[in-house]
Amino acid sequence: MHPGLLLAVLAGVVLGAPSIADAYIGPGAGFAVLGSFAVLFVTMLIAGVSILAWPFRMLWRVIRRRTKSKPLIKRLIVVGFDGQEPRITERMMAEGKLPNLSKLAKTGCYSKLRSTFPSITPVAWSSFTTGANPGKHNIFDFLDRDPRTYLPRLSSTEIGSVDRVLKLGKLRIPLAKPSIRLLRKSKPFWTILGEHNIWSTVIRVPITFPPDKFYGAQLGAMCIPDLLGTQGTFLLFTTRSSEERFQEGGLRFELSPNGSKDSFEGTIKGPENTFYEGNPPMEVPFTLDLDRAAKQATMAINGDTIALRRGELSPWVKLSFKAIAGMKVTGICRLMITEMEENVSLYVSPINIEPEKPVMPISHPGYYCSYLEKKLGPYATLGLAEDTWALNEKVTDDHTFMTQTRDIENERERMLFTALDRLRKGMLVTVFDATDRVNHMFWRYTDDDHPAARDIDDPEYANAIEDQYRRNDEVVGKVMERLGPNDVLWVLSDHGCTSFRRGVNLNAWLLENGYLALKEGSDGREEWLQSVDWSRTRAYAVGLVGMFLNIEGREAHGIVKPGEEAAALKVELKEKLDGLQDAVEREVAINEAFDTDALYRGPYKGNAPDLLIGYNHGYRISWDCASGVVAGPVFEDNIKAWSGDHIVDPRLVPGIFLANHPIHREDPAIIDLAPTALSLFGIPPAAHMEGKTLVDTAHFDGREESAQP
Amino acid sequence: MFSYTKVKLEKSMVDKIKRYAAIAGYSSPEEFITHALEKELALLEDAEDEEEIKKRLQGLGYMS
Repeated sequence: MHPGLLLAVLAGVVLGAPSIADAYIGPGAGFAVLGSFAVLFVTMLIAGVSILAWPFRMLWRVIRRRTKSKPLIKRLIVVGFDGQEPRITERMMAEGKLPNLSKLAKTGCYSKLRSTFPSITPVAWSSFTTGANPGKHNIFDFLDRDPRTYLPRLSSTEIGSVDRVLKLGKLRIPLAKPSIRLLRKSKPFWTILGEHNIWSTVIRVPITFPPDKFYGAQLGAMCIPDLLGTQGTFLLFTTRSSEERFQEGGLRFELSPNGSKDSFEGTIKGPENTFYEGNPPMEVPFTLDLDRAAKQATMAINGDTIALRRGELSPWVKLSFKAIAGMKVTGICRLMITEMEENVSLYVSPINIEPEKPVMPISHPGYYCSYLEKKLGPYATLGLAEDTWALNEKVTDDHTFMTQTRDIENERERMLFTALDRLRKGMLVTVFDATDRVNHMFWRYTDDDHPAARDIDDPEYANAIEDQYRRNDEVVGKVMERLGPNDVLWVLSDHGCTSFRRGVNLNAWLLENGYLALKEGSDGREEWLQSVDWSRTRAYAVGLVGMFLNIEGREAHGIVKPGEEAAALKVELKEKLDGLQDAVEREVAINEAFDTDALYRGPYKGNAPDLLIGYNHGYRISWDCASGVVAGPVFEDNIKAWSGDHIVDPRLVPGIFLANHPIHREDPAIIDLAPTALSLFGIPPAAHMEGKTLVDTAHFDGREESAQP
Repeated sequence: MFSYTKVKLEKSMVDKIKRYAAIAGYSSPEEFITHALEKELALLEDAEDEEEIKKRLQGLGYMS
């Protein structure tokens, strides 16, 4: 998955073009009405009403239940390790390094798991969720493009603005809540389970913001924003002067002297305050007093004092931003002094929505996230929680990134076992993201001569990927200890990973080959395709996976006629892209470009990019291309810490699937898991699902009687 | 919790919708209805003022 690229795009829009950012980042408006006190009050009210109404709802559910299912099992436990790569898994199993996975493979099954086209997190997990191809669930990439502006926007969530306001002097009181819509279509299999009175707990499955409503509980995941309304913007307060902007995310602020050489002050800017004309940011000032000899510091913020040590991440710290009198917006973040010698710098992690009093709906029921917080303490709520950007920008280091990743993983593990220990019957799915992040950030240490690791000798985290896979195996072992005789366990990943050594700028290639034109006088260095002359452009790339034709009547300034002309252009582009060579490295960069019209079926396939690019091992869309910069080389080395990836030809990066039962198919796909889950609970797969069940239900017949409620 | 509104439709229309929704690959008739309406509304949504909305409604055949 590509939190980095996503953040690059969104952060760039926020920083580069405020008016454009307002158009689609949006959540600033959302905080206006969902103020902290109001949310807490309403949440408590709903919780109280829900508790009182529970017996009546249960009775109503029994009365309304139209079809009875006969579950073949008692519980289905699904553990997802996003990005776990089969080649590494198989090698480590053969070497005896993954004893629990090996046991599961021996007593049940192990197989590679076909991912989706494209093989990226939002698409693959959406197919897991719905049992349908992207043409039916409408998620084709992290990003979509707005055909009116050619700008990128989040593909999975739409947040509306508040149009009706009451003006009182400088104040603007919103008179309605903004709409927040999940754009993933079709129907999750857990909703269907719920229609048959089977409970599901769904923890951090991607593309669940806002959360689904069904008979069960859900903690949302991607693409829950941070408090700034982005997908994860870190802040760096520093005494270093610099005109440079971070390329892929992160904001730099001044840390100003405050009376002595060891005292400093700064202001953390929070979300837009939509109660006031002009939407000024809400602010929280702080002071920082250093004890250089002890390598410690004291931060005073929000009336609290926080002890910081150089190079150590603080625990979660709550930040309260005042909106108007009596209303606050709160978030949580982690802090670290990254240097305090000649220069002083303070890293502030992305400010997560606080789970105790969330300002946006991040769970179903609404109080489930608060319940988890009360039980387990504060935890990361950001959809893309691990701060890969700060590492990529060298603001933090490998150790800090791994500490943050481990801590989030521990939070997730506690959530899994809290839910598992309470689940008497039904379905539980929990997705862990650490594997994917570690693959992305540490592939450079496993790949001989990776451009990003050439100068590094014996790095501390050389074995980070293997260590992660061992940790995953330990989690599986703990789950296996808790299984009963009528429980089914699945372990899966949505895709694998491979090396990312060379970036491909598709827009530069389109420019070179006459399909894209620049505005007169432009050097092509502007972001977000601002350099493009649409009246002379026939194709362009936005997002991470593909290419769009500039079609008349579809795009705002389309010039390619739909029908025959568009079809012919697509064929022409495909012929040139299939087998495209990187002349410098003398390797194939693109295996194949896929025509999505042939690839997808369903009512939403028209929203897909026209061509999906299947990069070869080692290649992927370049950082510049992701931020809409047209100028520059078509191929260039990737020298960032983000060194492994999977937005490649999906046939190269399948995931893994293990279960404690056999499967009767040799080539399972992630799209098969939803119908299989339904069949385990005695429910026929829904007609719109294309996946096919993987199990022979006769295998479970002996368990049937004891599994009956 | 309170984000949906119920609308009544004639049974004969809903029967047709059910059939078409299944053929098209929607998970439910509600999904088909929502998508159909979203597509129509998208043609009106970025109109700048009421006059322009009226023009578009006329152009789409909803007003004379």
